Amino acid sequence: MRSRLRCTFAFLLLFLAFCATCPAESRQPGELVWAIHYDPATFDPAKVDDQASELVRYLTGGVLLRVNRLTGKPEPQLAASYQISSAGRLLVFHLRSGLRFSDGAALTSADVAWSLRRVLAPQTQSVVAEEFLSPAAVTLDTPDKLTVRVHLPRRIPGVERIFDEIAIEPANRPSLGRVTSGPFAVVEVKSGQYVELRRNAYYWRRDARGVQLPYATGIRLEILNNREQETADFLRGEVDLIDGLSPEYFAVVARREPQAVRDLGASLNTEQLWFNQSPAAPLPDFEKAWFRNRGFRVAVSQAIHRADLARIAYNGHATPAFDFISPANHLWHDDDLKYPRENLADAERMLAVSGFHRSGKQLYDAAGHPVRFSILTNAGNGARQKMASLIQQDLAAAGMEVTVVELDFPALIERLMHKQDYEACLLGVSNAEPDPSSMMNMWLSSSPNHQWNPSQKAPATQWEAEIDRQMRLQASSASQSERKVAIDHVQQIVADQQPFIYLVYPNVLQAISPQLSGVDGAILSPGPVWKIDLMRRPDGRPQAGGR
Amino acid sequence: MKKLLAAVFLLLLVLAAVLTLCRSRWSYAEQDREAILTPATAAHLAGTDELGRDRLVRTAGALLIGLTGATVAAAISIVVAAGFGLLAGFSPRWIAAALMFFSDGFLSLPWLFFLMMVRSLLPLTATPLTTAVTTFLVLAFLGWPAFARAIYRGALEMRGSEWMIQGRASGLTTWQLMRLHVVPQLCPLILPQFLICVPAFIMAEANLGALGLGVGEPIPSWGAMLMELDNTALLVSSHWVYLPIALLVVVLMILESFASEVKVYA
Repeated sequence: MRSRLRCTFAFLLLFLAFCATCPAESRQPGELVWAIHYDPATFDPAKVDDQASELVRYLTGGVLLRVNRLTGKPEPQLAASYQISSAGRLLVFHLRSGLRFSDGAALTSADVAWSLRRVLAPQTQSVVAEEFLSPAAVTLDTPDKLTVRVHLPRRIPGVERIFDEIAIEPANRPSLGRVTSGPFAVVEVKSGQYVELRRNAYYWRRDARGVQLPYATGIRLEILNNREQETADFLRGEVDLIDGLSPEYFAVVARREPQAVRDLGASLNTEQLWFNQSPAAPLPDFEKAWFRNRGFRVAVSQAIHRADLARIAYNGHATPAFDFISPANHLWHDDDLKYPRENLADAERMLAVSGFHRSGKQLYDAAGHPVRFSILTNAGNGARQKMASLIQQDLAAAGMEVTVVELDFPALIERLMHKQDYEACLLGVSNAEPDPSSMMNMWLSSSPNHQWNPSQKAPATQWEAEIDRQMRLQASSASQSERKVAIDHVQQIVADQQPFIYLVYPNVLQAISPQLSGVDGAILSPGPVWKIDLMRRPDGRPQAGGR
Repeated sequence: MKKLLAAVFLLLLVLAAVLTLCRSRWSYAEQDREAILTPATAAHLAGTDELGRDRLVRTAGALLIGLTGATVAAAISIVVAAGFGLLAGFSPRWIAAALMFFSDGFLSLPWLFFLMMVRSLLPLTATPLTTAVTTFLVLAFLGWPAFARAIYRGALEMRGSEWMIQGRASGLTTWQLMRLHVVPQLCPLILPQFLICVPAFIMAEANLGALGLGVGEPIPSWGAMLMELDNTALLVSSHWVYLPIALLVVVLMILESFASEVKVYA
């Protein structure tokens, strides 16, 4: 009996030793590796609706035009050139000659038309189709093998950008990313483990010296929803980059590899606080009256020390925010915006003017109700929890008693979207698109995402009516300057009324292995890999030669 | 001797915690925003946490809140368990069976979900103190069935004993028998249960706090403070982040040594 136990123990030790010495699945020469946090929901490029799927589409899908992530301008890809008619209702794309899919088949205008029609078809339920405003009314024709004409029912501002999101697939042969016209193609998917992409040997693009791109032989996307492990893997050299590094781990990586970390400054994303102004909210009338009181909202905004939020909650890797358009969005940010400055004395004056008074440390409204409310935020987000605690102390200085409540995301959304049973909420908004048209669903008073008072039948206030008018104006105008004036106006109304009290813009933090070359970090998605065809490791393909 | 040493050490810890809370210039919730995650300094003897709150003050607060809450919760739990066990022990057999069935059923409840449900039923404006009281009350409410069965067994043995029969023959009422004889006789059984309960409840609160279901911020609690250890980036910033867990282990060892001593004695 004892010898059998000893035997088992020895076997167990051997097994553990084997596991410890066995290297993690080794990467192929020239292969890039990084982590995505969950499985892509789909590999069908027409049905992409989540970040992981969008990344796979970006890496595999060939597109007519690609938006330059630094300049924001569309650049020809599969299309050698394109024209838009003066009325903005006709787009003509001229394809490059000799284009091929990753299986060697020729790519013609028929494939482009089929791919576009598939995206526009209602049965595909493509999210991209909505950007055409009336997808059913869009028509296509192909006068020859290299020309595609797209007829729009009306002008769509920035319509070229939509074609950045439409991957061209072989006509009548949808392949879930396995036959592509982009730099890579899907070769293997292991749910919960990894997605393996291989270089497209027929990719159309070559570098300045005539070497065919992409340089990398493949990409391995590890499915890993653990920031700590991702950081450890990066430091061990098992992953090449981290996009969206958290501020805590930024410091850890910076300590070990200072040359690997990059803080690109403010992102387009915002973190904000808002009060529930919905008439349907199950809150006492006096609380609703506080939240609808502009003076109250402005005073709260003035009492919050945003610099502390950025410094403490984000370890300095965030930028104080006063506007819904980040200063990183140079084209649309209003540099002359006038907003309430942080000042506790001004906040107290504003509260006094708005009918509130202090008795000892507590603030009361005109009817004598103590000002107490809760701030809801989602559990598991350390930065938001810290911001809520900091705001709690800031508002205590103005006499407000704040309770911070952390709820898991489904419970939070239930309260926000369905029951509207909350007083104030601290959440963030991810803005993937710099164009303000992409924010229409947040600003139109009729929208269910108009968070402080959603789904209004008619605008509840004059200033909301004015926001509606200006947002519609910018969405329909052909003039860039007219659009800018409208958006500046909306920014000023929001700064005056403070329906959203903007707190910080989290910075874009990345970790890039010093071994990688060809990386050009951008704040727009997909961040550091937007020039994926130019990225390479030193053990990659020879730099000259053919296919 | 070991018990006495443990008691003195625990008393000293409690006194030190009370003194820290009373004498420190910082309150447990106050943020020193110019001293975020500092190591030990003259102003903050055990450094500060991520929000600049004094770690020593918060650890002292967590110790007192954990000990007080767990002791009160254990007392409630034991009183309920004793009442339930005695009622079952001195009731007709079928009532006893029904009561014990109820107790066993209670034991098999998915109590974590129950706690989540209770927490979600609290109004959003519930103060941190309310969440602290609720947490310990729920622990007390959920902790009694395990002890009720032990007390029921003890009561059953006494019910058939000769001195009980003699007591009844002497004209003592059931209430008098309970008060004068049964409860004192059951004390050696109840006391160890109580002493086991206190560290168990401290541990339960720490686990719940680490899941975000315990005492609400900014009131300090073991659970909330242990959550700091979840962040590797923080662990390398200062060794003082280990203070709460070190103290928790010491307190649990002291309490466990009480329980084991009494168990031996019992």
